[in-house]
Amino acid sequence: MSGILRRMYDWLVRLFWATEMDITIIGLQNAGKTSLLRVLAGGEFTIDSIPTVGFNMKRVQKGHVTLKCWDLGGQPRFRSMWERYCRGVNAIVFIVDSADPPSHPIAREELHSLLQKPILDGIPLLVLGNKSDLPDKIGVDELIDVMKLEDVTNREVSCYSISAKEETNLDAVLQWLIARAKR
Amino acid sequence: MSYSKKDEDAEPAIFKVDRTSVFQEARVFNTSPIYPRKCRILLTKIVYLLHTGESFPTAEATELFFGITKLFQHRDASLRQMVYLAIKELAGTAEDVIMVTSSVMKDVAGAGGRGSGDQDIYRANAIRALCRIIDGTTVQAIERLLKTAIVDKTPSVSSAALVSSYHLLPTARDVVRRWANETQEAVLSGSKSSALFGFGSSVAAPQGSGMTQYHAIGLLYQMRAHDRMALAKMVQQFSGGQVKNPAALVMLVRLAAKIAEDDPGLRKPMYTLLEGWLRHKAEMVNFEAAKAICELKDVTDTEVAPAIHVLQIFLTSPRAVAKFTAIRILHKFASVRPSAVNVCNMDIETLISNSNRSIATFAITTLLKTGNEASVDRLMKQISGFMADITDEFKITIVEAIRTLCLKFPSKQAGMLSFLSGVLRDEGGYEFKKTVVESMFDLIKFVPESREEALAHLCEFIEDCEFTKLAVRVLHLLGSEGPKTAQPTKYIRYIYNRVVLENAIVRAAAVTALAKFGVSAKDGAKVDPEVKSSVVVLLTRCLDDPDDEVRDRAALNLRLIKNEEQEVAEKFIKNEQLYSLPVFEHQLIMYVTGDQSTFSTPFDVSSVPVVSREQAHAEERNMKLRSADTPTLKAPTTGAPRPAAATSAAEQASSVIATTQKYAQQLALVPELSAYGALLKSSSEIELTESETEYVVSVVKHIFKDHLVLQFNVKNTLSDTLLEDVSMISTPSDEEEVQLEEDFIIPVPKLAQDEVGTIWVSFKRTSEEGYPTGSITNVLKFTSKEIDPASGEPEESGYEDEYQVEDLEILPGDYLVPAFAGSWDNVWEQVGAAGEEATESYALGTDVKGIQEAVELLCKQLYLQPLDGSDVAVNSTTHNLKLFGKTISGGRVVAHIRMAYSSKNGVALKATVRAEEEGVAQMVVGGIA
Repeated sequence: MSGILRRMYDWLVRLFWATEMDITIIGLQNAGKTSLLRVLAGGEFTIDSIPTVGFNMKRVQKGHVTLKCWDLGGQPRFRSMWERYCRGVNAIVFIVDSADPPSHPIAREELHSLLQKPILDGIPLLVLGNKSDLPDKIGVDELIDVMKLEDVTNREVSCYSISAKEETNLDAVLQWLIARAKR
Repeated sequence: MSYSKKDEDAEPAIFKVDRTSVFQEARVFNTSPIYPRKCRILLTKIVYLLHTGESFPTAEATELFFGITKLFQHRDASLRQMVYLAIKELAGTAEDVIMVTSSVMKDVAGAGGRGSGDQDIYRANAIRALCRIIDGTTVQAIERLLKTAIVDKTPSVSSAALVSSYHLLPTARDVVRRWANETQEAVLSGSKSSALFGFGSSVAAPQGSGMTQYHAIGLLYQMRAHDRMALAKMVQQFSGGQVKNPAALVMLVRLAAKIAEDDPGLRKPMYTLLEGWLRHKAEMVNFEAAKAICELKDVTDTEVAPAIHVLQIFLTSPRAVAKFTAIRILHKFASVRPSAVNVCNMDIETLISNSNRSIATFAITTLLKTGNEASVDRLMKQISGFMADITDEFKITIVEAIRTLCLKFPSKQAGMLSFLSGVLRDEGGYEFKKTVVESMFDLIKFVPESREEALAHLCEFIEDCEFTKLAVRVLHLLGSEGPKTAQPTKYIRYIYNRVVLENAIVRAAAVTALAKFGVSAKDGAKVDPEVKSSVVVLLTRCLDDPDDEVRDRAALNLRLIKNEEQEVAEKFIKNEQLYSLPVFEHQLIMYVTGDQSTFSTPFDVSSVPVVSREQAHAEERNMKLRSADTPTLKAPTTGAPRPAAATSAAEQASSVIATTQKYAQQLALVPELSAYGALLKSSSEIELTESETEYVVSVVKHIFKDHLVLQFNVKNTLSDTLLEDVSMISTPSDEEEVQLEEDFIIPVPKLAQDEVGTIWVSFKRTSEEGYPTGSITNVLKFTSKEIDPASGEPEESGYEDEYQVEDLEILPGDYLVPAFAGSWDNVWEQVGAAGEEATESYALGTDVKGIQEAVELLCKQLYLQPLDGSDVAVNSTTHNLKLFGKTISGGRVVAHIRMAYSSKNGVALKATVRAEEEGVAQMVVGGIA
């Protein structure tokens, strides 16, 4: 009985107010995707999370918007599968470890080769430089340069510097994402 | 999975499922928001398709798989369960299934959070799916997860984890073996988990039943399968009563039986356990234990008694299934040890009129095996009453039982024959008819009195036979047996009818059979010219046959019959010689599987020894008696099939022919022996030294027409010595008595370390008639040279040395060959009239335990063929052993040995031997040790 009521309530909410949106979070391994998602969902930050094998799915509730976040593994074996999960989403979030400059060229390669896929045209992209709390991180402008974001056309692109650990700038990220829902 | 089962049974038309439409519909997975109901139905369809044998190509499967992964966004528990089922099924074909690992692991681990009760529904499924998608390298990542799942308090989760570990064993043996402690814990905790978690019907099944124990024990066995001691310890540990689940106990019973089988040292403790399980409260366990005891190797009467007793009680159980199980186990055991089942006869009697045909069939066949000659007729009447109502399989069981009986009690042949011909007229499949026809063949071969009547029945059978194969076999038999009967013309008519009416294959067989009538009539006698001419007429008509093969055969046979030289015709048409089939088969296998060089030369069929029909029959009969011991309806066995102990004597006798043929080839390599003529008999190899002495010597005795050749196989086991000029000085211990004269010795010139050389010593038998027996002393003579360890070369000079080996006994049995005769009594009378007789009494002492052992010993010692089924002792105190054989020169030897057994004095026997040749009877009697 309660199930039926619950379902009806959900349906009503969905009908009048709620919006659901799909977000795909990608990036090289150890960039902090899973940690960020956990913090966004209201969990505690943990330093020693295990590498994601495949993907994680988490829902983040923000006001009347539900973000369905697909957190994909960043190891090379999974990169070919990013595309499958980026199709038709509301936004792609690409996370870079801003304190690890040697990884940036690879990250750039992977990002650009992904964006070249025609099926992903027009999907907004948000590049996040994570780990801004670490001393030898690079700033937002530098990151835009390194990732060659000027070259990305045909879509909205934004770039923020954040820290999942210190929870800096996370609100801005959420705001940005929610704004993409009203297209 | 259960969903698809139901749909299959109900109405497949409910959804029109086909692969392409399902694949098209799979778009529903990618929609947002997700409709759980719709997705669930689609998933069900996918699983259904996979279950009905449809398979998706890799690309489609991968596409579906990734679609399904999108469903992880929905929390609906039943949808998630279905998702896991589908993933598990697709894991084999789709690529990149590793993608879901993290998500699945989250589900497996995640009790707590919102509604952990919800999660329990699909946790088991998640674990099962997890083990399918994981590969060898990532097992470590899920190790901790599975370890906790194994000891989970929810039985379904624990079971799933155990079964998954089972599946992971081949890929990651070392990792899984580390979970032994958890598994052990699961066995013990399984007994107390009776708490119920009543959710959906999906998880209700295994709960509270302790099924986890069954799975855990299975896994533990897999982990320790190679360590017998650990297994034995495990079985003993769990036999204490912590294990409640009957299925788990059955598993333990099987393990105990296996251990007892593999390790004689552990047999006793395991038997004690098995006996304890006979009194367990679950019937399933009782049956399994009883079966295990019955199947123990060389089980003694006292050991088996409690098992039989338990089964006997079940025979009166009100439930049909219990009765059936009990009678089936008894039936199987009765094939091996009828005497032990005798005690149940009273209870089995009441079952023969049981309304359940399966039970009644087994009851009757069991009685046929255990019963005595007197009850046979009554039972046969009973069977024919319901023969029409039972399935072919049971009919075959019955017919086989009757065939064995025919061979055991030849005097009952008339009744059995009429029964067989009766069932032959009934409806039935090929297998059934084949069994019946083969039984009749055996009757004809081994029970001569039944020949005419059986042939008549077979003739009638082929008149209306739908099976070409059987018709051909019957025609062949008519061809070989028909001419020997009083009225061969009767059969010619039947055969020619086939030529007119049947298909080409049968016609060809019929032509060959006809030709045999034209060539051979009664043994030795000339062909009746009238018969011959009519055969010629019939064959000439066959020349116009539309089929090539038939025409060819007719032409060839006509030519042979018309030929003046009878010998050629006899040779071709009435082929009495056979290739020794086991040897032939072995050589062909060696030829095909051997190295390139063997295969490049064409196969030489002349190297296959030829045996006469008589010898082949003797061998075949032994096979028949043995094979009839194994019933057609086999129960799944726990271990390897037991060798039938009772028939080992017969086996020994029949193997003689094979060994003779093997050595014939070796002897052919020695040119000096070719002058001696054909090899008549070879003994088996006899060790003359211990196997760990400096020089290992064994000997084989070969008997030729006038000569005795000893083949000494010598092996030099010394590492630093070279033997030269190795010869054997063999002297008959008593020159007067042993009439042997040394002919020549072929020494071995050189024997290095670990080489085997063969010394041939030949004796001429001096006396014309007799067969010399006695012992021969043997001394090995050689020149020993030490090998210089530095250069590896032998030294220049050596010294002469001698080495005494054990004496060799020449026994009367060495001159005897087992032979078969249809009726022992006939031969006994015939030989008694023509030859001489000798009688002697012996006591075998208490070393020989029981009649059966004495029977086997005597058959082995005398090399004679037991007849009239006397190689199986029915009575445990007295027995009549009837033996028949021939000497190497062809004289018949018949022996009648009466035995009595008492536990105090052992076996006492009185042997009467009749032989055609002079002195042989005395010799054979003297040969019983």
